[in-house]
Amino acid sequence: MSTGGRRVAIVGMGGAFPDCKDLNELRQKLFAGQSLIRDWDEALAHGKNIRSTVSGYITEQEMGLEPVYSTLIPNYPETYIDTLGRIPDANLATADVGSIWSMIASQEAIKMAGWSVSETESEQTGVVVGSGGAGHIILRNAWHSFFELKRKTRIAGSHTVDRAMVYRDAANVACLIKNKGVCEAIGSACATGLGNIGYAYRLIKFGIQDRVVAGGVEGTSLETYIGFDAMQVLSKGFAASESSRPFDTDRNGFVCSFGCGIVALEEYEMAKARGANILAVIDDYFNNSDGAGNMFFPSFDGQKRLWKGLFADRPIKADVVKVHGTSTPVGDTIELFSVVDIMGEDGYHISAPKSQFGHMLGAAGAVELITAIMMLQEQKVLPCLNSTNLNPELENFQKAEGWDGPKKPVAEYRHLISPETVNKEINSIVCLNYGFGGTNSAMSISRDI
Amino acid sequence: MERQEIINGLVEILKTVRMIDPAKLANVTEETDFIADLNTPSTEMINIAAKAEQKFDVEFDDDDIDELGSKVKDIVDLIIKAKERA
Repeated sequence: MSTGGRRVAIVGMGGAFPDCKDLNELRQKLFAGQSLIRDWDEALAHGKNIRSTVSGYITEQEMGLEPVYSTLIPNYPETYIDTLGRIPDANLATADVGSIWSMIASQEAIKMAGWSVSETESEQTGVVVGSGGAGHIILRNAWHSFFELKRKTRIAGSHTVDRAMVYRDAANVACLIKNKGVCEAIGSACATGLGNIGYAYRLIKFGIQDRVVAGGVEGTSLETYIGFDAMQVLSKGFAASESSRPFDTDRNGFVCSFGCGIVALEEYEMAKARGANILAVIDDYFNNSDGAGNMFFPSFDGQKRLWKGLFADRPIKADVVKVHGTSTPVGDTIELFSVVDIMGEDGYHISAPKSQFGHMLGAAGAVELITAIMMLQEQKVLPCLNSTNLNPELENFQKAEGWDGPKKPVAEYRHLISPETVNKEINSIVCLNYGFGGTNSAMSISRDI
Repeated sequence: MERQEIINGLVEILKTVRMIDPAKLANVTEETDFIADLNTPSTEMINIAAKAEQKFDVEFDDDDIDELGSKVKDIVDLIIKAKERA
């Protein structure tokens, strides 16, 4: 059940993106149909012990960061230097790489929003930023020093907690911008990015905050990568740029990527009154659980209930559906059929940005919301890269007794899934993200017209 | 080891603490207070102590670190004490 409330505008955005120095380069490369996925030297270094070797990764140098290695523990970055002078040293000392990305992205989003210092530092400004994983690089070294090398706890230094705790990204952003409102992190696996923004949206909608810096981050982590690699769910055997291929018959897993997406949200009338540049309006947000008792397998029923909750009793309309579209064998087809079941067989397009930069896990929903905002701005649908061949046969689960979804094969929906950028009028977009544990999130955004 | 030699070594450690203004390290004496004079965040004190253990090849007792004062002479005394004990 959704209730009335205040409207919420998106007035700023920022982030850290694979193989892109800023938002402009991301925009240019995405709409040009380029892939941001590359062979990852950190994975390649482990030879046969690792299956997948591609990633949408970001090097420290690409973000203008320089690690300062501890003299006490080999290869342990005890802090970072911001070579571009954006973040003070005291804030860098309490942050892992993902938290630093969050701070840089928040600065960028607030600057774009045009919030004054007093607005930013207000009791009515919140921070809601979450991450999928932990501060693994910090923990890796601290634990190795204590457990394996049998050294004293102090050798790992005094910042292993603040640099590795669950809500380190939100905490670091709040300490940087000095807001006096809410500071929290929501965790919902691969729905984390959209989940944090959805929670922030509700804080404004229900009058608890007027402004919120919100988003998701997934800092570079080989630990995260090898966890999924062990599950054999990562893409394998393709050239880097062809490895993420949602809906394509040859897809064999997702590309584990890293990044950060932050948006600045503001109560609509306040933003309008001060003449803010409104990038998009959030129509609504809804999230639910599958209720199927399955940690991993997507639920057609859960996703249908997600759509029903998002639109409540209003007519369903979206020009683009930005899907989760990970490039996993089962996930893509269940998602496609749940979209078709609700939206019908035409009148909209499907966009799967993971085809271009892989799956940024805890950052995915936030970065992909940014790509949806860009689609509204550019009036172009981002492509489903590498969705070259669609299955002309029914999926096995479509043949099973009790299947009540679409009865046509994926190939019948070719007109919805374009491997190339499409020009069209776009007024509203629905963004979908799901996570382990059967959690589902959906947000509808529109142009401010 | 002379006390001034230890102070010089400590200054080298302090140069690696990025929150300390390098300009303030030009005239460090035994009476210099890490927190009051150098604006060292209190969270960095344990990191400085750990690096001092490494640099001067000593190991401090946990109780001594717990009671460590914030002046340069306090850690110089601790290093000398640890060296004598060794």
